[in-house]
Formats: sequence, C-alpha cells, structure tokens
Amino acid sequence: MNIELSLIIPELIIASAICLLILVNSFLSSNKRFTGLVIGAITMAVCALISLLSLLDTTNLIIFKGHYKIDHLATGLKLVTYLSGFIVFTGTRTNKDNAKSELILLELFAILGVSILASSNNLLTLYLGLETLTLSMYGLVASKRSSELATESAMKFFVLGAIASAIFLYGVSFVYGLYGTLTFGGFNNPIINGSIEMQLALAFIICGIAFKFGAVPFHSWVPDSYQGASTSSALFISTIPKLGAFALIYRLLFQTFISNVEFWSLLILFIGLISLILGNIIAIAQDNLRRLLGYSAIGNIGFTLISFSIGTTDGITASLISLIIYILNTAVAFMIIEIISTENRSIVTLSDIKDLNSSRPWMSLLMLLSMFSMVGIPPLIGFYAKWIVLTELIKADMLIIGLIAVIMSVIAAFYYLRIVWYMYFEKNDLPMMQGTSNIFQKISVSIIGLMILIFGLYPSPIIDFCKSIIFPIFID
Amino acid sequence: MIVDQLIWIPVLTGLLVLVLGEKRSNFAYALSLLISSGLFFLSIYMYFLFDNALSSYQFELKVPWIDRFNINYHLGIDGISLPLIMLTTFLSPIVIYTSKTSPKNKMHQYIASFLILEGMMIGVFSSLDAFLFYVFWEAMLIPMFLIIGIWGGKNRIYATVKFFLYTFLGSVFMLIAIIFLYLKTGSYLISDFYEVSLSLNQQILIFLAFLFAFAVKIPMWPVHTWLPDAHVEAPTGGSVILAAILLKMGGYGFLRFSLPITPEASLSMAPIMITLSLIAIIYIGLVALAQTDMKKLIAYSSISHMGFVTLGCFVFFVQSSSINLDTINLAINGAMIQMISHGLISAALFLSIGVMYDRLHSRNIEDYGGIVTKMPKFSVLMVFFALSNAALPGTSGFVGELTVILASFKVNIYIALLSALTLIIGAAYTLWMIKRVIFGAVTNEKINSQSDMNLIEAIPLGLIALLILLIGVWPKPLTDMMNSTILALSYLVSG
Repeated sequence: MNIELSLIIPELIIASAICLLILVNSFLSSNKRFTGLVIGAITMAVCALISLLSLLDTTNLIIFKGHYKIDHLATGLKLVTYLSGFIVFTGTRTNKDNAKSELILLELFAILGVSILASSNNLLTLYLGLETLTLSMYGLVASKRSSELATESAMKFFVLGAIASAIFLYGVSFVYGLYGTLTFGGFNNPIINGSIEMQLALAFIICGIAFKFGAVPFHSWVPDSYQGASTSSALFISTIPKLGAFALIYRLLFQTFISNVEFWSLLILFIGLISLILGNIIAIAQDNLRRLLGYSAIGNIGFTLISFSIGTTDGITASLISLIIYILNTAVAFMIIEIISTENRSIVTLSDIKDLNSSRPWMSLLMLLSMFSMVGIPPLIGFYAKWIVLTELIKADMLIIGLIAVIMSVIAAFYYLRIVWYMYFEKNDLPMMQGTSNIFQKISVSIIGLMILIFGLYPSPIIDFCKSIIFPIFID
Repeated sequence: MIVDQLIWIPVLTGLLVLVLGEKRSNFAYALSLLISSGLFFLSIYMYFLFDNALSSYQFELKVPWIDRFNINYHLGIDGISLPLIMLTTFLSPIVIYTSKTSPKNKMHQYIASFLILEGMMIGVFSSLDAFLFYVFWEAMLIPMFLIIGIWGGKNRIYATVKFFLYTFLGSVFMLIAIIFLYLKTGSYLISDFYEVSLSLNQQILIFLAFLFAFAVKIPMWPVHTWLPDAHVEAPTGGSVILAAILLKMGGYGFLRFSLPITPEASLSMAPIMITLSLIAIIYIGLVALAQTDMKKLIAYSSISHMGFVTLGCFVFFVQSSSINLDTINLAINGAMIQMISHGLISAALFLSIGVMYDRLHSRNIEDYGGIVTKMPKFSVLMVFFALSNAALPGTSGFVGELTVILASFKVNIYIALLSALTLIIGAAYTLWMIKRVIFGAVTNEKINSQSDMNLIEAIPLGLIALLILLIGVWPKPLTDMMNSTILALSYLVSG
C-alpha cells in the first residue's frame, strides 16, 4: 500500500463511511433510525483508535507534494475530534427530523473537514478543509426543516459565513501575491513579513478565524444557530468545529506567521477580550437556555483566544486545554438538554427546566456538575482551564488581562448559577414530561459528565496530552 | 493518614447517601449520623496522638498530584488547624442529627450536602499545599449554595446567589495571589511562600488579594452584607455551619497566609485592619441592637464577635517599635480561642432559634414573649447561651474576648477601651432579645399550647453547653494544643 495513503487511513475511513451511509440511506426505511448513528459511532471509534496508535510513534511527515502534514498536533487534534465525534453520536437522538441519517452524514463531512484542517500544510488544503466543515455546518443548522427559526438562522449563518470566507480568501490572495506560493514554511522573508500588505493579509485572515470561532465581532451567528438548530445539531456545532478553528489558528498564526507574532497577538487579544466581556455580559440577560449557552460559548472562546494571544507554546497549550475543557462541559449541557426534551416539547427557556431535580435527579446533578465546571469551581475540570490560563497570563506579565478575566468569570458565574437555581430551587406545578431517550444516551452522558469530576480530581492526563501534542512541533 | 480519612470518609458517605436515594432516607440518616459521630471520635483519637510540643506539621501526607506544576496532595495538622478540625467534626454530627426534627423534602440530598461540606471544610483546615487549599476552599461553595437555595426560607435564592457571588469574587483574587507566589517560588507549598522575598509593594498587593478572600469570609465590615441575608434564609443546619465553621476559614486564612507570607504588609496595613475590626465590633454591635429578626440579630452579633478575631490578628502591630513576642502570642491566642468559642456559641444560638422556629414558624422577636412559662428547660439553656454570647465570666466567650482585650491593653489603651465596649453592647443586644423572647408576659396565643423541648432537642444543646463551660473554666487543653504553633507563628510575624 502506498505509504502516503496509509498515513491518512482515518480520513479514508470517514470518506468510505460517508459513501456507505449515502448508499444505505437510499435503501433503508425510515424506522431503522439507529443505522446512521451506529455507523457514525463505529467509524469514530475506529478512527480514534487508529489516531491513538499513530500518536504513539508519530513521525513528522509532509505528504502529497507538500499539501498535507502528519505531525503530533494533527494526529492529536484528530484524536480529540474523533472522540468528540463519538460522544456526539452516542448523545444524539434520532427523531423524525433526522430519521434518514442526513444529520450523521453532514456531521461526518464536517469531521472530515476538521481532519483536513488539522493536517493542512498549504493554504489551499486549509481552505478545502475549512469549507468542507463550514458547508456542512450550514446544512446542520438548517436540518430542522419544519422550523422557521432554523431556516432563518441558517440563512443568516450562510450569508455571514460566505462573507467571512471571502474576506479570508482575500487575505490568502495577498499572501500568494507577496510570496508566489501557498505552501506553509515558505513564508519567512522578514522584509515581506514586515510590510503593510502582510499585516493587511493577516488582519483579513484573522477575520476568517474569528468567524470560525464565533468571536466578537463575527459572533452573531452563534446564539442564533444554537437556538435555531435542533439540539443534536447544536450539540455538534458547539463542539467539533471549535477544534477545527483551533487547527486553523494554530497552523496559520502560530506555525506559519510566528514572525508576526507581535502584530497578530494584539489583534487576537483584542478579539478575545471583547468576546469575553460581551459574551458574558449579554448572557446574563438571556432567558432562552440555548441562546444563553451560545453567549457562554462566545465568552469561553474569548478566554481561549486571550490565552492564545500570549503567543508562547505554554500559552497555546493553555489555550488548547481550555478549549478541550469547554467542549467537554458544553457537550454535557447539550446532551442533557437532548435527553430531557421530548418529541413534542423541546427544552427552550430556563423555565422549561424548572425543578428538574425532582423529576430527573441524576440528569440535574450532571447538569449541575457541568455548570459549576463552567463557572470554574474546583475540583471540576473547568477550574483548571481558568487556572492554567491565569498562570500563563501572569507569567507573561499580563496581570491586568488576568484580572479582567477573573472578574468576568465571576459575572459569568451568575448566569450559570441561574441554570442551577432553576433546576434545584424553583418549584414547578406542571409535571415534568419523561423524555424518550435511549439507554445509550444516558450511559454516554453519565460517563462524560463524570469525566468532568474525574478529570477534575486528576487533571494531569489532559494537561500532559495537550503539552505533548503542542511541544514536539515547536522543537523541529 | 487520619486526616485523609477525615476528609474522604464523609465525602464518600455523602455520595453513597445520594445514590441510596430518597426512599431510603431513614437508613441514610442513621448511617450518616453513625459515620459522622465516628469521625468525631476519630478526631479525638487524633487529638491524643497529637504532640503539643511540636510546632511543625504532624500527620503529614504528601502524594504528587499534578507533577508538571509541582502540585502535591499534601495534608498536615498543626496547633491552629487541630482545634478547628475538632470543631468541625463536633458540629457536623449535631447538624445531621437535628436535620430530622424539622420535616424536609429530599432529606437524602440535605444530608449528603452536609457530609460533603464536612469533608471539604476539614480539607481547608488541613491542606499544606496552597493549590489544594484553594480547591477545598472553593469546592465548599457548591454544597453551601445548594443548602441555602433548596432548603432555605422565602428569599433563599437571592440570599444564596449573593453568598456565592460575594465569596467567589473574593476568592478569585486569592487565586491570582497564589499563582503569583507559585511563579515566584516554583512551588505551591504554603511554607515555601513564607520564605519568598517580596518588595513592600508586592507584599501589599498580595496582602490585599488575600484580604479580599478572607474579609468576605469572616466577614469584615463593609463586605459583610451577604451574611445576614444568608443566615436568615438558610435552614437551621446551614446557619449553624455557616456561623460556626465557614466564618472561621477567614480567620484561619489570616493566620495561615496573610500574617506569615506578608508580615511587612500586615504591619503597614494594620491601622486599617484595626479600624475595620473596631467598626465591626462597635458599629455592627449597634446594628444588632436594632434587629427585629432573631436570626438576623445573631448574624450581626457574629460579625461583631468576629471583629475580635481580626483585631487579635493585627492589634500587636501597633507597637511596631518594640514588637513583643508575648503580645503577639497573647493576641493570636485570643483570636483562636474567640474563633472556637464563637463557633460553639453561635451554633448553639442558631440551634435554639431552630427549636423555637419549629414550634412557632416565626423568627420575629415580637411574636415571642414568655417562653419561660411554657418551656422552662429550654429557657435555661437559651439564657445560658445568651450570657456566654455576652461574654459572661466562666464561659468560653469571656476567655476569648478578655484575651484579645488584654493584648490590646498592652499596645494601646484606646483600642482596648473601644473594643471593651463590646461587653456593654453585646450584653445589651443579647439580653434585650432574651428579655423580649424568653421573659415577660405571653403575648402570642400559640405559645400557650407549646410543649417544652424534648430529649432529642436537648442533647445537642446540652453537649455544646458543656463544652462552652469547659473552655470557660479550663481553657488549658485548648491553649496547650495551640501554644507551640502560635509561638512559631509569632516568630515568623515579628521577622
């Protein structure tokens, strides 16, 4: 077998799974709802296993004539992506909206996009991955066909996304114009990198990155699509695309344009700071649970970006750690929303979860863990995100930024506490309807929810993992 | 290893109780009562193993936790933490015991919260690693938030969110200070922090960061406003733990962090700290006088009494020219005794109010009057607790306050005189409350139909009364426990 092909086995498997799903879909009756999920979950499990094995002896290789790169970061990010994909698939419920497995199909496409992004070594490959991811996301948001809100938010998302992509491409064209090449590693002429054109190009590229992360000022699609999309889609778009965005920012800014670090770190810091402040403050006023989580996502991404803006390997490790921890927390929250909502009554506002503790004590306990983890209370995993980013900020003499960040975390505490108080303190006269979740969902959310606590008690694996995938690349 | 068990046995029992569920809450109640009383005896056993002569940490346990950042799971006990741990293990079974008397929904969650809280509190008092300390310090907020929020009174949501946000805001600044000290020393070990050399400006910033966390917890004027709300709304058990143990963490923090890490900053900030303490003692005492709600009155009285703790922690800095080791020793001893004594007295008072509340469902002073005619046995105990709150000689309240006032006399007569005003104000608000609640004519019809307290209610109150008397007439075991540690601390503080 071709050595280059053998390195991209996970991507090939996903592509085959997509083909298989398309084929199966056209023959399957709509009451075999689990087929897509099972195929998706198995694919993810196999891919995660392969990435794990290859992570153990990663050789840094550039393949396909310089377009594709296999290194620790690529393999590590893919591993996290596939694991998150597995979590998402096990937490997804099939209902009449996605009976035909289109949802799974789109999600697999998006995961393929993230894989390509993580491995890209060329601006075009990067863009290919980016668009594979983004186009699937448009579809995911729109997949709740019966809902006007979903259509509207998908439309907004699409228009904004198209503009952001255009701006991004415009920046890329600047880079090409300056260097005449699209392959990473060739962009290190100090004179060109110091030019105003290069800075313009970077600013355009950062606009694209900000959109992918959902950072202010390109954030408006986040709450809309969290609210409009079905819970399963929201679960997906709140988690895995963020990893793709991290791959993007890492490959482009840290790995390629590190010589311009002073310029881009300022921009990223600015974007991160206003995302942190705006996201957390607007979230206070939200009564809609999903919009609230949307704004909380903006705030959390702000935190991740601030950490990235430190521009050292330690800072970027902290940024990846905080991102992974956020994904874990938010996945639990959306999985629980998915489980407690029923076919004819979806969980929309805070009052829909009133007194959840009486009807579903275990689910509300897991939700409580997730919320306190987002607040950053030890010994839950979210605390370590706050702590490690704060450590790096203070180490980099950015104490003022650190102060703003912790004060924002106190403000954020208020709206996370609101979710807890609706679940535990409010009394509810209406009987809570029992969800129709399957046992897999419950097991899956229990395992992930307890991971918040277990990794909180012993966080070294996550910290070590992130360090080990960021550091080796920096050395060579 | 004993310390380890003291932390994790209650936590694991709490989790077990949660798993057992609401249907088996009677079994859960019996089990947790058994376990938590067992823990009290375990701490007594620890007391006998404890060597009073040593000023170093005992029962040390050190396991690497997060290697990359040099963080260890590091526990140990010294003379400051032992009495506070014993206070915790003594009051926790009492709180669980009394949870049965007033009917509650979701009993199992109530008991589990208290058990987990107990483990976290012991963790705070026994962590030698600042990171571990912070983990316990914050983790405690979760059960307390739920206790006030689920089982509290009418305004519980407002009170509990206020409590949470206040303490959380305070402690994030402490987190920054701890991280800063870690970056300076390369270690999270608290005793390594003692040796770090800092400029005066850095010291003051670190002092202020810690002050934010501890002042909110104690609480000091003017960041005390969460306490009356939280106390009034919390269920009886919650108020007991809040007043008796949670507040002590602030005082413990001053002794463990602020004084030894930033002695020079403490010296330069001492005038402010003393002023704030005196404001708490006098002004808040006067505020207590004006309360119509019994729980609120005791809450303000707590703030006023905790003023003595902060006064004791800082008063000896006034005579900076000739810092006298004896004065430091005396003042810190006074602060510690005051903490233990206030822990017992406030717990007893909140329990007594709980006994009355279970009968009349009111905390308003004016709904009562003439309790003594129907509940004579209860009244005896209640009056005793009130008198110890007013620092009657022979009770622990007297020992604590007298020691701090004595230390103040040694440095500055005006501070001493001002702080001694509490003997008048404290007596005024407590005894006036007693007069209106216990004595006088029966004004409320309902009181006539009440029975005296039964044995179940009497046991915890009687136990606490015994301890208050014991410390009041014979404080030696307590001071012996703390002496060598406080002496070592005095050396650190005086430089």
